[in-house]
Amino acid sequence: MATAIIMPKLGISVESCILTKWHKKKGDEVKKGDILFSYETDKSAADEESTVDGILLDVFYNEDDDVPCLNNVCVIGNAGESTAEFAPAGAADPAPVAEAAPAEAPAAVAAPVAAPVVTAAQGDMMKISPRAKGLAEKSNADLRFAAPTGPEGRIIERDVRKLIADGVLTTSAAAGVTDKDAVGTGIGGRVTTGDTAAPAAVSAPAAAPAAAEEEVTVARLTNIRKVIAKQMVESLSTMAQLTQSSTFDATEIMAFRAKLKEKAEPMGLANITLNDIILYAAAKTLADPQFKSLNAHLIGDEMHYFKNVHMGVAVDTERGLMVPTIFNANKLTLNDIAVQSKALANDCKKGAISPDKLKGASFTVSNVGAFGVEVFTPVINPPQTAILGVTTIVKRPKEVNGEIKLYPAMGLSLTFDHRALDGADAARFLKALSANLESFSLLMAK
Amino acid sequence: MPKSQYTDPNKLRAAGKIKFKDIPVNQYKKSIKEERKNFTDEQLLRMYHDMAVIREFETMLNSIKKEGRYNDTEFMYAGPAHLSAGQEATAVGQAYILDTDDFVLGSHRSHGEILAKGLSAIEKLSDEELTKIMSEFLGGKIYNIVKEHTQAASVKELAREFLIYGAMAEIFARDTGFNKGFGGSMHAFFLPFGIYPNNAIVGGSAPVATGVALYKKCNKKKGIVVANIGDGSLACGPVYESMNFAAMDQMKKLWEGDYKGGLPILFNFNNNSYAMGGQTCGETMGYEQLARIGAGINPEQMHAERVDGWNPLAVIDAMKRVKKLLTEGQGPCLLDLVTYRFSGHSTSDASTYRTKEEMAAWEEQDPIVCFRRDLVEAGVASDEKFDEIWNEVRERNHKMFALAIDEKVSPFTDYVANPDSIEKLMFSNQKIAKMDDREAETLLPYGECPRKIQLANKARFAFDAEGKPVPKTRMFGVRDALFEAIHDKYYEDPTLISYGEDVRDWGGAYAVYRGLTETLPYNRLFNSPISEAAIVGSAVGYAMAGGRIIVELMYADFIGRAGDEIFNQLSKWQAMSAGLLKMPVVVRVSVGSKYGAQHSQDWTALISHIPGLKCVFPVTPYDAKGLMTSVLNGTDPVVFFESQRVYDTGEQFHQGGVPTESYEIALGEPDVKKEGKDITILTVGATLYVALKAAKELEEKYGISAEIIDARSIVPFNYEKVVESVKKTGKILLASDACARGSILNEFARNITELAFDYLDAPPVVVGSENWITPAHEYEKEFFPQPSWIIDAIHEKIMPIAGYVAQKNYTPVEQMRKAKFGV
Repeated sequence: MATAIIMPKLGISVESCILTKWHKKKGDEVKKGDILFSYETDKSAADEESTVDGILLDVFYNEDDDVPCLNNVCVIGNAGESTAEFAPAGAADPAPVAEAAPAEAPAAVAAPVAAPVVTAAQGDMMKISPRAKGLAEKSNADLRFAAPTGPEGRIIERDVRKLIADGVLTTSAAAGVTDKDAVGTGIGGRVTTGDTAAPAAVSAPAAAPAAAEEEVTVARLTNIRKVIAKQMVESLSTMAQLTQSSTFDATEIMAFRAKLKEKAEPMGLANITLNDIILYAAAKTLADPQFKSLNAHLIGDEMHYFKNVHMGVAVDTERGLMVPTIFNANKLTLNDIAVQSKALANDCKKGAISPDKLKGASFTVSNVGAFGVEVFTPVINPPQTAILGVTTIVKRPKEVNGEIKLYPAMGLSLTFDHRALDGADAARFLKALSANLESFSLLMAK
Repeated sequence: MPKSQYTDPNKLRAAGKIKFKDIPVNQYKKSIKEERKNFTDEQLLRMYHDMAVIREFETMLNSIKKEGRYNDTEFMYAGPAHLSAGQEATAVGQAYILDTDDFVLGSHRSHGEILAKGLSAIEKLSDEELTKIMSEFLGGKIYNIVKEHTQAASVKELAREFLIYGAMAEIFARDTGFNKGFGGSMHAFFLPFGIYPNNAIVGGSAPVATGVALYKKCNKKKGIVVANIGDGSLACGPVYESMNFAAMDQMKKLWEGDYKGGLPILFNFNNNSYAMGGQTCGETMGYEQLARIGAGINPEQMHAERVDGWNPLAVIDAMKRVKKLLTEGQGPCLLDLVTYRFSGHSTSDASTYRTKEEMAAWEEQDPIVCFRRDLVEAGVASDEKFDEIWNEVRERNHKMFALAIDEKVSPFTDYVANPDSIEKLMFSNQKIAKMDDREAETLLPYGECPRKIQLANKARFAFDAEGKPVPKTRMFGVRDALFEAIHDKYYEDPTLISYGEDVRDWGGAYAVYRGLTETLPYNRLFNSPISEAAIVGSAVGYAMAGGRIIVELMYADFIGRAGDEIFNQLSKWQAMSAGLLKMPVVVRVSVGSKYGAQHSQDWTALISHIPGLKCVFPVTPYDAKGLMTSVLNGTDPVVFFESQRVYDTGEQFHQGGVPTESYEIALGEPDVKKEGKDITILTVGATLYVALKAAKELEEKYGISAEIIDARSIVPFNYEKVVESVKKTGKILLASDACARGSILNEFARNITELAFDYLDAPPVVVGSENWITPAHEYEKEFFPQPSWIIDAIHEKIMPIAGYVAQKNYTPVEQMRKAKFGV
């Protein structure tokens, strides 16, 4: 009996994925573990491996096709076996894989952009029966991978039973990305990825605040790049963006960081980086109501102010820049932030990040300090109103008690949308943030 | 109808005319001087005293309601006060004649009747009897209070205080009232003095009193029954139904031996000319003289007469005739007692519908004033004596008022300490095999009923030893099971009687009673007129008086015809009496099909909504016999639903079939009819068999194993088994033939959701009939739940079934559309 390979469901709210590349052709021999095809949502990408040995008997979709999740994509089996019964309804007649994918089909670009609209409409709540929830809790089944077969897309008991049978149990990564202060609606009141994807304070429609900027080196645009490109152009063409830059004295945070490095392990703390410290300080500063216009979305003629800070963290990956979100970052400890930012970055790099974690940010921090950049103009992820760029540390002189002393100066570049706020607002924020960073121990005490 | 009576076309078609006898109108003419030959002075003064007691009592309530005080004591009372000041002579006149074996039932305006009947009973009972009654009533609670605070020189005086205190405390909702405050102004009563319940529903006492009289007649109990109702009630259907029921020819023509003769009941119309504000003569009715109505009921014209109810001696004169007629089996009787109320309908009624001149004219003839004047003029007593009487009355009333409003002496029911104060009264929940110890009267010895003999040859399980279905003709079906339980109870409980439409001779429309005609005398099983209100209302009275009774309404759809009697009378009297009354009444109703919109409804939800009614719906022979036996041993009112679809169905579930001996099935226990593991289906009524078909298909075609539970009872209902099943399956569908909107299934579904929420894999889903009229038989498949509907609903709302294609639309969009459209 032949085996069908389905388009996996990359997240609870993901309805379909773009098949980006076939790595095998119809008729090829495949081994278990071979990559069959690559696929993407607008925010994430992954490879699908074969689960069996055999011949790739049939394929039902072409490259760039938008494939509904859980639909059969191809069939692997022995030569001569029938594949017709696996053909999904509505799939286009499969074209020979050997043929090149159509070049620049505008429809293919439109599809992933449209996807967030679909997921936003129904994606902010996981439908699951109480019984299925209870079972998942007992069995540690990872509900993110459950394929709902109940009415209205509800996960019911049999779906969790299938997860258990398939061995899809909660991963440490999934545990790591959950946000401990989020209001849990899940198993026994536990926080689910669904909860973190839909923080209570987010009343705005979840538009697509995804990526920022990246060096472009590859000839062929991936779908992620296409989306980034479209969004960046949209960002720059629809907003009144300008950037303010300043530096602050990083002596205290560097000393603090040095102490952490020494004590983190015996204290059971995570590896807390300077970037984590900046994320922490930025979140705390943004939570001050006087800076609410920077922790906001500007949608049409409306400002949508957030009660909590959902911190987008730009992560550099092979696939492109990804911006996962640390929800309710203002409520987290420094250690929590460090744990979460690392877990999110790892997931992004592995391609295992849930698309639900790639949206919902109210503010973004992009750190290019490691590359020695001194000043830059980060581009805002719409509909956010600001983005903080963090740059490298340079030694600067200053006068202390009549003497010229060198101190480590760290750069901050804040791009803001002048439609949403004025330069003085932005400057006040930068000043407050700098002050908090320079007296970080005092901020920690707050 | 019996074959002994020949409906002769020649007689019926012959020419002739109906002649009426003259109806006496206020023919009493005697003077006090003449009456002094018939009454002692003491008796005449006692009449005056009793009228004064009533006047003072009503004055007290009027003063409290209007001025917030009585006798300089401030006091607020928010409840009803339908006062009878002005109507004292009718109450005192009738009570003078009545003995404690004679019962009165009243209306919303019956404080006067309670007091008068009580005062009369106190005069007639010996001191020993009075002391026994008072010390035993409610464990001596009221007696002890009165005894502790009294300076009464005699037992009778103490009893008068007891009466007035008990009535006041009841009206003021005290725990120490006659009915612990659960009855109140419009429902107070005191059985030991022959005071049966008053009734807040206009005319409500007419059918109930008819039933009390029926109890007396069918159980050879002494005494007559008086239904005190107003002229306004004459416009109520149940009052007409009751008069007709009481006048049924069969009692005089078909009933035999000691049971032959009319019903001992007086329909006593206290005619004060007003039905609230509507004037019954001249405005809202057309009788001109109320007594005329008797002539429409039977050839005896109900011995109707109009009597001057303003004169206690005229009332006594008429009551003497009435009592004699009723005792001789000449009932029923009707009196039109002319009277007048000085106050409005209630204290909030400003009497805008009558003139000051009219009221002044009646006040000029105030019976309290005139009777006193006449007695003084006739030399019965001096004016001073009457002042003395008034002082005595006022002093006693003031004292009892002070006691009744003193929260230390007369506390309110403490719901904090006893949150179950009313809860425990809703049902008596007793098991009493027979309501009287005497031998049950039957026409045949036990075991000789031809039906009983015939049933011995029937198969008591639906399948033979090889598992083959038994033919219906040889099957012991649901109807046989019901018969067997009822038949056996008839031999055990001598008070058990049964009536309804077509129950005798015909054996009931569905042959449940077939064979009982030969077995039982008329007085235990008879055909009633098509008067559902009188059927159920009289059953209430029959049970209230101490009997056990089964009445049949043929179709559940006819419940509407007995609305007040089921919803307000049958359901409420146990609790309103603070548990003093029991209500062993079984109302059999059947759920039909094939006969369209007004003969096919499952109204279990209507019944279940009313607190105080039990409700069962068995659909297998084993359950039918067990539940019928159970309710016939019980003491609570039960509406017993049956399904016309399954009267001939044999027992398919209970291994060993239906036992021949008597056995009980406890009310409230659902039964697992088929075990399963994937989904639970809870059914009410004959839908059980539809669910079984659906379960078969689910199992055979889709590998889904359904557990089927038959609710059997609706009130009470024990959720344990259902919750246990849902914990196992995680899914539940509920189905019955009732229209889905407001079906009792929704109540079940809500409770199951709350009780088993964490175990549910889908919301409980209700499959009922469409919210339409029931169409003709040919279209019933479009209306009643079908096996495919159950599978459709599972597929669409609970658990999509691979490869299944649903026919019926159970999607949320359709659900919303239907609700929006009102279907």
